[in-house]
Amino acid sequence: MSLLEATKIHKSYGNKFTKQEVLKGIDLTIEKGEFVSIMGASGSGKTTLLNVLSSIDQVSQGSIRIGDTEITAKKEKALAEFRKHHLGFIFQEYNLLDTLTVKENILLPLSIAKMSKKAAQKQFEGIAKDLGIEDIAGKYPSEISGGQKQRTSAARAFIHEPSIIFADEPTGALDSKSASDLLNKLSDLNSKREATIAMVTHDPVAASYSSRVIFIKDGQMYTQLHKGDQTREMFLKDIMTTQGVLGGVHHDA
Amino acid sequence: MTLNQLIWKSLKKNLSNYYLYVFALIFSVALFFAFVTMNSSPDTGAAKETTTGSVGLTLASIVLTVIVTVFLLYANRIFIKRRSKEIGLFQLIGMTKRQVFRVLSMEHFLLYFGAMVVGIGFGFLTSRLLELVLLNVTGQEGLATLSFSMKALLQTILFFSVVYGLIMLSNALYIRKRNILDLFQVRSKSEGKRVSVIETIMGIFGLVLIGTGYYVSSIMFRGDMVRVELLFGIMLFILATVILGTYLFYKGSVSFLGNLIRKQKAGYLHVREVLSLSSILFRMKSNALMLTVITTVSALAISLLSLSYITYYSAEETAMQRVAGDFAFLEKAPADTFTAMLEENGIAYERNNIDIVKANINVKDIVQAEGDFNFNPDEMLATVISDEDVEIDVAPDETVFSGTNDLMSQIMSLKNTGEIAFEEVGTKQLTGTQDEYYVSNIFTSGGLPTAVVDQETFERLNENKDPELQWTSSLQVTVNMEDSSKVTEANKLFEELPEGELPQFSRIKQETDQKQSLGLTLFIIGFLGLTFLITSGCILYFKQMDESEDERSNYTILRKIGYTRNDLLQGIRLKQLFNFGIPLAVGLLHSYFAVKSGWFIFGTELWTPMLIVMGLYALFYSIFGVLSIQYYKKVIRESL
Ligand SMILES: Nc1ncnc2c1ncn2[C@@H]1O[C@H](COP(=O)(O)OP(=O)(O)OP(=O)(O)O)[C@@H](O)[C@H]1O
Ligand SMILES: [Mg+2]
Repeated sequence: MSLLEATKIHKSYGNKFTKQEVLKGIDLTIEKGEFVSIMGASGSGKTTLLNVLSSIDQVSQGSIRIGDTEITAKKEKALAEFRKHHLGFIFQEYNLLDTLTVKENILLPLSIAKMSKKAAQKQFEGIAKDLGIEDIAGKYPSEISGGQKQRTSAARAFIHEPSIIFADEPTGALDSKSASDLLNKLSDLNSKREATIAMVTHDPVAASYSSRVIFIKDGQMYTQLHKGDQTREMFLKDIMTTQGVLGGVHHDA
Repeated sequence: MTLNQLIWKSLKKNLSNYYLYVFALIFSVALFFAFVTMNSSPDTGAAKETTTGSVGLTLASIVLTVIVTVFLLYANRIFIKRRSKEIGLFQLIGMTKRQVFRVLSMEHFLLYFGAMVVGIGFGFLTSRLLELVLLNVTGQEGLATLSFSMKALLQTILFFSVVYGLIMLSNALYIRKRNILDLFQVRSKSEGKRVSVIETIMGIFGLVLIGTGYYVSSIMFRGDMVRVELLFGIMLFILATVILGTYLFYKGSVSFLGNLIRKQKAGYLHVREVLSLSSILFRMKSNALMLTVITTVSALAISLLSLSYITYYSAEETAMQRVAGDFAFLEKAPADTFTAMLEENGIAYERNNIDIVKANINVKDIVQAEGDFNFNPDEMLATVISDEDVEIDVAPDETVFSGTNDLMSQIMSLKNTGEIAFEEVGTKQLTGTQDEYYVSNIFTSGGLPTAVVDQETFERLNENKDPELQWTSSLQVTVNMEDSSKVTEANKLFEELPEGELPQFSRIKQETDQKQSLGLTLFIIGFLGLTFLITSGCILYFKQMDESEDERSNYTILRKIGYTRNDLLQGIRLKQLFNFGIPLAVGLLHSYFAVKSGWFIFGTELWTPMLIVMGLYALFYSIFGVLSIQYYKKVIRESL
């Protein structure tokens, strides 16, 4: 059975008069242990899709199942519980708490899991080293760079080893070295711990790290590419070709 | 788009931001206008003739002006902070600082003077209500005759125009001092600096200062210190040490303790602590200042209200002490006339004669602490009555003290039991103390206890009494109404009595006289106290609204991560407990020492009126705490 299954999801914003349909009936399944990228033009509904898949936003129509949980039918409290234990997020805006230091931000998901302080510290050291943020652990978000914020945000998504990670442009603010570090970390988690990953990106290089790329256009699924046995370079070429056909994304690619 | 259109547009868009500000404005204008209207009304004119009255009113106006100014400047500051991003944006697209300032000033002008008109309307209504209350409190008959006063209107307009000028000045400085980047970051910067040694020293120094202030306040009315010309200076000293101490205490100890806890958590914070501890520390600088302001204002308010309520409350008590019954006479003849009149009018009464002897007693054994006043425990002049004249039973070798009060125990404290010795009849065992007044205080030199003894002892004392010690009269006749609703009617008859040689008393008359003479001062103090209460509550509430808006995005993140609204609310409650609870607790402590230092100038009862005021204050004050939690609830609900 697939880990995530979304059927015919619709999402509209606004009231009766200003209604704008952003998602127009998307069907999507993600298998356990898969690393999926979602691409599409700016404003095509990628963030919206990610939000409804991750239970942060509600669909207007359709159903979403993660594991054996039908999340469209659940109450807010149960959803919160679910997110807490099973989901990790890296948001497009960094979404760090201004009032907390980098370390405190990262450890936030652990405090609910009742992990011992010692174990938490060990977990933190590992992840901070991997992402190169040990030196800024005591700083406040207003004192660090955009890329450091993004890495902090990523560290927070990984630290409690969630079963599925949602990432919205996790490499947007990073130079190519830090970007590939982060992406390698993601693939590591994916291959070693079998973490399922859904990542929105504009960057074909980032997308080439995944095993499947879904293209969204006008609120519908346009096409998808499987990596299969290709090398990353070949897959990258494929992605870029499709992107060219799709059009409209070159400006930020 | 022209500048005018821009102003109009931003005014409309910002109405939700403005509403807090508008409320603050209307409230202040109404308050101020009500106050000046009352001040210039002919009804209060009479009271102003007295020096204390006019000094009090002037002082009150000054305090009110300061408080209102600070309050409005504060509300404006919060409001401009809310819009700092917008101001930055205006500049980013090429407006000069001067132009931005013009837009803001225009916007403000419309709003400010609009709110003023509404405020004056409210103020007029309030002033009528207040006058009714005033007349009622002072026990005067009559209707509120307040009319719209042109003078008050002009004063109000003048004052608020000046405040408008100040606000504009503060805005100009704000815009000038900050570059665009600051404006964009205004909400996300930490105010915390992590220097713990200095903080500790500061905190300790703060505590020392507070302690000094408390100590000086407790000895300032001691015999050897009372020098009237110094009193004002001493009071200023106390005020300064306590306020500065409070500030240092908050700034030092709170952030020191907070950082200690935080450090010990090693980055591993529960969501409760995220929303309380780290949020408080994040804004410690502005918090310390605000907590100090709130504490000071609360302490002032509680002290003022307590003292005025002590006065008011004691009016009844004082009347009770002065007059041992509804009516009291010192000779038989006028009492007979009076009771005859009562009978004529069919008013049922109860008459009670008490024989009185004055004697020296030695109370050395039961003196608890050497008093500061000239008082010789070997020879205390006491009033003695027989147990048969009052309704208690005292054994032959015993005695009971009655008619003690807080004031007396302040001056000299006596134990409730022990041995005392009469010069004429020897030692008696003191078995207890009551606060009942059997004898009017004209006999008791203003509140020394009255000794109740066995009838036989009394007769012996009476035979051997020292004529030197006796007062003009040795008889008290009290007349009490059986039906207490008839007292007013009886009082009318009492007023018709011819004046006798010796004074004759009516308790109800004493009470109204007292209240009337105090009424205005009392009322003004009460009014100011109430203003302080509302102002401090509002400032706190505004600050919390502001913080909650700043932290809205934090709630969004936390809820995205998977914390429920309840998890977040737990932290919020903790934070409110700190924000509202700490200044209240410290304010209560401050005012306790303030009241304790000088309450006996105002009245005779300390505890009951003070505790009532403190309780009510805490209650009303908590309303603001509950309101801000409600506000947080709303913000959290909307945050996802
Ligand atoms: N809260 C909202 N209310 C109304 N409309 C919204 C809201 N959020 C998004 N939209 C609209 O939905 C559409 C899709 O937005 P979305 O954020 O999903 O785009 P995106 O694909 O993530 O774009 P980008 O690559 O720029 O991040 C946009 O046209 C946007 O205007
Ligand atoms: Mg997006």
